[in-house]
Amino acid sequence: MADANFPSLSSAVCYVDPRAALAFLEQAFGFEISMLIEDGAGNIAHSEMRFGSSVVMVGNEWSADHKSPRSIGGKNTQTVHIQIETDVDAHCERARAAGFEIIVEPETQFYGDRTYRCRDPEGHIWTVAQTVATVSAAEMEAESGLKITGWA
Amino acid sequence: MTSKVYVALRVKASPERAFEAFTGEIGAWWRPSGLFQTTPRPGVLSFEGGEGGRLIETRAGGKVFEIGRIRLWDPPRRLVFAWRQANFPPDLHTEVEVAFEAVGEETRVSVEHRGFHNVPDGAARHGWPDQLLLLRLAEFWRGQIAQMGERLG
Repeated sequence: MADANFPSLSSAVCYVDPRAALAFLEQAFGFEISMLIEDGAGNIAHSEMRFGSSVVMVGNEWSADHKSPRSIGGKNTQTVHIQIETDVDAHCERARAAGFEIIVEPETQFYGDRTYRCRDPEGHIWTVAQTVATVSAAEMEAESGLKITGWA
Repeated sequence: MTSKVYVALRVKASPERAFEAFTGEIGAWWRPSGLFQTTPRPGVLSFEGGEGGRLIETRAGGKVFEIGRIRLWDPPRRLVFAWRQANFPPDLHTEVEVAFEAVGEETRVSVEHRGFHNVPDGAARHGWPDQLLLLRLAEFWRGQIAQMGERLG
């Protein structure tokens, strides 16, 4: 917003306790707070964190239709994916040390990415991947039995 | 409690260089804002002296407006100064803290502007509720730091 570097797509994630979320997302994933607005009562009105060229907004349950997974039995309706360039295993250990539950440990997939999946303390699921091998569409089709289009 | 508006951006420079650019070259990169006017007709900003000194705006005719006193001068880490606009009531002072933190070869420059929700209805508020006023203030500061960052390459 009012920023030429603001990406065309970004995600706004709801938390019961956004202040705690800002801290654990920094600890687990190295996201950096780039904007934080607190009102006269000390409540968080708006916040943004940066990671690489992307932005995630960390907010509260600001309407009746915006809920943290913690408030709706742990359900997620979308997940945010993090693509990193180095050492996904170390990334996973950092998330674990920050109190995130590792749902699926790092594993190399048929499409050449090594991925893991974790749940943050309020129940949001995050997926993380690092490309570790270059795989052609033909190789992936042979491996998976899927018909694959749009693969560079 | 007081309101806080915090923004942070990385710039391609050391903390020493970023501190120097913020304090010594503000007149070159600062962009006057129609929304957060320090004076009705913009002049040139400069920091005068260290701790106990002041941030001033020198108008075209040479007249000087004091934006605020420098409350902390701790190069290259931290800087705190008072912030007053000409359209503020006389007793209203807000505060700005700027921090410079090395991240690899870059510096994370953060600005925290405190107390702006105390700006009363009138010229400085544009009729806005707190949330909009504070969001615009955050965007204003992010734009200023981005300008400084461009200067640093």
